[in-house]
Amino acid sequence: MRPFMRFFSSVKLAIVLLILITLASILGTLIPQGRGAAEYAARYGSLSGFFSALQLTRLYQSPWYLGLLLLFALNIAVCSVIRIGAKWRKAFGPAEAADAPGLMASKVRSRFRLALPLAAAGDRVAAILRGRRYRVSRSASGASVVLLARKKRLGGLGSDVVHLGLLVILAGGFTSGLTGRRSDLAMREGETVDVPRAGFSLRLDKFDTEYYPQGGVKDWKSTVSVIENGAPVLTRVVEVNHPLVHRGVSFYQSSYGYDWTSPRLGLEVRKPADASFSRSVVLRPGERAEVGDPDVSRISVRGFVPDFILGEGNKVQTRSQEPRNPAALVEAWKGEERVFSGWVFAKYPDFGQGHGGQGPSPLTIVLKTYEAAQYSVLEAARDPGANIIWLGSLLLMAGLFLAFYWPSREIRVVLEEAQGRVEVTAAGRAAKSREAFQAEFDRIFDEARRPS
Amino acid sequence: MTESSLFTAAFALYVAALIVYFAALFARREKWDRAGLILAVIGLCFHTAALALRTGSSGHAPFTNMYESLSFLSWAIVVALIIFGRKPRAARLGPYLMLIVVALVALASSPLMPKGAAPLVPALQSYWLWLHVSVTLLGEAFFAVAFVASILYLAAGTDEKRERLDALAYRAVAVGFPLFTLGGLIFGMVWAYRAWGRYWAWDPKEVWSLITWFVFALYLHTRIVMGWKGKRSAIVAIVGFLAALFTYFGVNYLLAGLHSYT
Repeated sequence: MRPFMRFFSSVKLAIVLLILITLASILGTLIPQGRGAAEYAARYGSLSGFFSALQLTRLYQSPWYLGLLLLFALNIAVCSVIRIGAKWRKAFGPAEAADAPGLMASKVRSRFRLALPLAAAGDRVAAILRGRRYRVSRSASGASVVLLARKKRLGGLGSDVVHLGLLVILAGGFTSGLTGRRSDLAMREGETVDVPRAGFSLRLDKFDTEYYPQGGVKDWKSTVSVIENGAPVLTRVVEVNHPLVHRGVSFYQSSYGYDWTSPRLGLEVRKPADASFSRSVVLRPGERAEVGDPDVSRISVRGFVPDFILGEGNKVQTRSQEPRNPAALVEAWKGEERVFSGWVFAKYPDFGQGHGGQGPSPLTIVLKTYEAAQYSVLEAARDPGANIIWLGSLLLMAGLFLAFYWPSREIRVVLEEAQGRVEVTAAGRAAKSREAFQAEFDRIFDEARRPS
Repeated sequence: MTESSLFTAAFALYVAALIVYFAALFARREKWDRAGLILAVIGLCFHTAALALRTGSSGHAPFTNMYESLSFLSWAIVVALIIFGRKPRAARLGPYLMLIVVALVALASSPLMPKGAAPLVPALQSYWLWLHVSVTLLGEAFFAVAFVASILYLAAGTDEKRERLDALAYRAVAVGFPLFTLGGLIFGMVWAYRAWGRYWAWDPKEVWSLITWFVFALYLHTRIVMGWKGKRSAIVAIVGFLAALFTYFGVNYLLAGLHSYT
């Protein structure tokens, strides 16, 4: 054997690699993966440079971790290839030569005489073995007959099937990593976007968030249509756990949000001096509406944020995209005189009322409603590795079943003619549950010995 | 009866089984083990009813928070105990497995564990919740059997006892390993693919499941190929169970990730 093969065929190498991969994997769970450099600097100080140089911050994508996995795969492959030939012959190949003294060295054995002609004795033992679901092959030479009886023969190859499954799974993982493509598609209701590299488009018809009566999100549902050559070909509801698959691309409900660039804002104008006065207008930011009152001729919205906060230098910012503290920048005019200017808050109607041109404003403006189009984010994924993974998983489970619960059994029998009788020597071997096998073996040869 | 009274009844019966088991151990009356087993079986009936009632009233599989999954894990360990403890002359794992069960049930009943059945977040609404969690926890229950057998191996006095415990630990791994592979890794990948669009995300829980799997793979390979038996094998099995325990428990509290359901 060449040194290369000898090195990679060693089970000790497999064990060393398993331990190394395990230790590396543990390290990867202790160090948060794929965060920004600033976070690592804050967390680990001077060690952070060392960690990123060793790629511990992107461990599972790092060449050395993937290299360990590849070495492991190579090791499994070489181990299996070297051993599979002999195992296959043992399970399915022709009988090897056997002699009675050799069989007597076995732990499970039996020896007795039959008062039958050689051929008839062979037939009798073979028939009993077949009755116990053994496959029997027979070879005769001169004054002896050799029987090789085997059952659950695939059991001996269980570990090879497991290893093949693992190799297929690793191949699937590398296929996903190298050829898998994913992208986020953000769509407002009614909007159509092209699916990258797919040759069709997706239109969001409707997006709903369902809530439980106690609060809490029950489900996100995006009703989408697949558009091919300008025409819708299929409409489906995509929700969490129920992706849409079309032409090899899977679409997952991944995120959602509000489009706050152009919300519909409902404003109410009041005069503290005149309790009976109230006017409502609906505006989008940048629009203005004529009110047509002697005290207030028009009103306009200059800006909107969903989650108002004052940032550095008292600059207005939004803290999030959720409507936690919606606020609108509103102006009202009386002819050419500005009578109201300032931020109004939906959740705090009494707070931050605007100013007039000189001194307090004669108006009160309340932000009553704010409606924004929701958008839904679907993740489009094409992952040719996934099906390879399922195939590997199937092999893995089939192999585990064979290895643990399909133990191969083998019985060899040598029949020799001696002084007009036939001397029968039998020996057996089982991969597992040897007690049960011993019992079966004893039953078989008790039956063979009994005069018929 | 309500779910909580059934659960309390099961708890009481498990404690009774524990006491009987230990009495049998200290009084050297192997026949009393039978009584311990019968109490455990009756306790399991109440426990099963409690889990069924909770499933009925919440409308989803009973493994969505720590209380529910601890309850199911202890249920699974009792099942494993009954499977491995019913044979006469079997190694006496009963007292120690029951100790683990009582500790888990006590932890589940403690005020640390919120018991309310919260409505399911969208990602958990899937029949894969049943398949993934139940098969994984069943596998881990058999790892617990291997763990107890291995600890007893290290403490055992006679060679005959040792041999029996070594074989028992192996048999438990032979059941637990395929179950854990199927439930924890494969069903987990299938569900992740359906819910998140990727079958493997190197989430800490996923990695720790893989680590647990590696340790038991080491257990099998060192035994079969390198002929390890006995003490060294027992230590690997103990490490394997501790890894499984960390995957189940530690990851939720110590490492953040997609699987942070507490």
